[in-house]
Amino acid sequence: MAISLKESIVFGFSDFWSRKVRSLVTIIGIILGTMSIIVVLSLVNGINKQTLQWMMERGGLSKITVRRNWRYDNPNKVRSYFTWKEIKLIRSLIPEAKYMNPQKRYWLRHSYEDKEYNCSIYGVLPDFSKIEEWDTEDGRFISEFDINQSNDVIVIGTKVKEELFGNKNPIGQFITVHERRLHVIGIMKHRYMKSNNIGSDNALGYLNRRTFVPLSTMIHKGTGDDNISSLALKAQDAESAPELRKKLEAIILNLRHGEPVFMIESAQEEAEEMAQSQKTFQIIFFIISIISLLVGGIVIANIMLASIQERTREIGIRLTVGARRRDIFIQFLVQTVLITFIGGILGTLVGLSLLKMVSGYINIELIAELSMVLIALTVSVGIGLLAGIIPAILASKLNPVEALRYE
Amino acid sequence: MASLIEVNDLTKEYKMGKITVPALNGVDIDINEGEFVAIMGPSGSGKSTLMHILGCLDTATQGEYILNREKVSHIKKKKLASIRNQRIGFVFQTFNLLPHLNVQKNVELPLMYAGYSKRKRTELAKKVIAEVGLTDRRKHKPSELSGGQRQRVAIARAIVNNPSIILADEPTGNLDTNSGSDILTIFSELNLKGHTVIIVTHDAAVAKRANRVIHIVDGLIENGDIS
Repeated sequence: MAISLKESIVFGFSDFWSRKVRSLVTIIGIILGTMSIIVVLSLVNGINKQTLQWMMERGGLSKITVRRNWRYDNPNKVRSYFTWKEIKLIRSLIPEAKYMNPQKRYWLRHSYEDKEYNCSIYGVLPDFSKIEEWDTEDGRFISEFDINQSNDVIVIGTKVKEELFGNKNPIGQFITVHERRLHVIGIMKHRYMKSNNIGSDNALGYLNRRTFVPLSTMIHKGTGDDNISSLALKAQDAESAPELRKKLEAIILNLRHGEPVFMIESAQEEAEEMAQSQKTFQIIFFIISIISLLVGGIVIANIMLASIQERTREIGIRLTVGARRRDIFIQFLVQTVLITFIGGILGTLVGLSLLKMVSGYINIELIAELSMVLIALTVSVGIGLLAGIIPAILASKLNPVEALRYE
Repeated sequence: MASLIEVNDLTKEYKMGKITVPALNGVDIDINEGEFVAIMGPSGSGKSTLMHILGCLDTATQGEYILNREKVSHIKKKKLASIRNQRIGFVFQTFNLLPHLNVQKNVELPLMYAGYSKRKRTELAKKVIAEVGLTDRRKHKPSELSGGQRQRVAIARAIVNNPSIILADEPTGNLDTNSGSDILTIFSELNLKGHTVIIVTHDAAVAKRANRVIHIVDGLIENGDIS
């Protein structure tokens, strides 16, 4: 003798339906909780993925950079740039580095015929192209020969090409920079990555606005000084990058008598730090979402308790005609299950459909993964069930005689 | 005839805070199968308490209750639900129908807890609804029915699972004289069909329809004789 599970579900559903507004309010609570978990997890995941993509675009995880340390006030006025001699010394001390590129940078006017364009010009070595994993789309990049001969050659970004030459082929033409005529030998590949920033859709757009000349040409025919303020290196692989960074840091510190006038950073270590901070973010946001779900759970418990109060007499009648305590328990639990499942599934759908919208608004791609949906569903349905079980137990423990007397 | 209900020295006490209030003080009753019995007494006499215990809705503090040769006083609560479902049909003064269910669904309720299939439930409920003359009201909600009609729905629900005992607690208390009389006629007919009918009332006119009246005063049986 028993009421079947199917009957219980039909029963719970009709109960649920006869209290539409209440059920709806509760469902909305669960929807919001589930939705926020999915959105938050996807957001953190999206930021993480995008930053990592940016790092890969800028030379990958095996890249190491040396720049002037702006945070150090340098009280003893220690030299915050390298001389060519020092660069050669450093290179000889780290034979395990795959590539190394010292560079100088100026902001100069570039002109061709009647057109002018102001942009950054870099003095680099051939290794630059290897480190950045960035080649020419037309012509060639700076070679060892150009370095040795201090050739008057220049390689330009696509934006520079567009501004100075329009649709004309720049290869073989001459650009005048700082009163020196430079032979255009190559055009860099166009760089693009979807951007976070409003106003610019290309996170790598600045790279297209650069030109490159041999470092030796810049030193000997340009400024005349060999002050080199930044270095980029590439380790054999990402795993060995942190170790190379430490060694490099020790060498440079030694060259500057222990004064940290340079910052030496490894993409691999940054990625590791980033992953760590993402984890912290994820946990914080996750806790916030759980709190919102707990509030939803308390609402469920409250509604269920009110419902039991309201229906004490009904429970009494059901017990009188032969309902077992289990039947009453299931009847009330089914309602909770319905509410939490409907809320959980709708919340997932709303959350997933919101991803695109939020993504468009804040310019960060939100990337949902199956595991996130499962986490959100488990947490919201779990809390909903916990909140429903206790009232259901209370309902099933009612004394039939007292329940019948209840007005 | 075999003794269907046998109650020996039944005591029921209610705890109200620190005070213990006695409701039944050692009741002895014997009711045979097929009897039509009225339990009469003024309000507060303990007659409703007695009915609740006889109907397995409540348990006694002390004493023995044997229903159909089975000691109910020692049965687990889960089994009591099954007894209420299979052997007892309840009719109340306030009808106690579920307001959001129609007549058909209200009558089907005990069958559902008995585990009948939907088809069987519909069939059995239709039959008893016809017996109480409400076929044309099957799809109506209780609020759309008169008091007499509601009580007939309650009776249909009480007998749908074919119980041996029908327990009615002031079944005419909320009805006008004519409807009340109709309801009592239905109880007499059910008794003739073999159901044991026990009516709890304080109304002598109602008690007259019974074959035997048991008077209860202050939790004690005053007179168990056939009146």
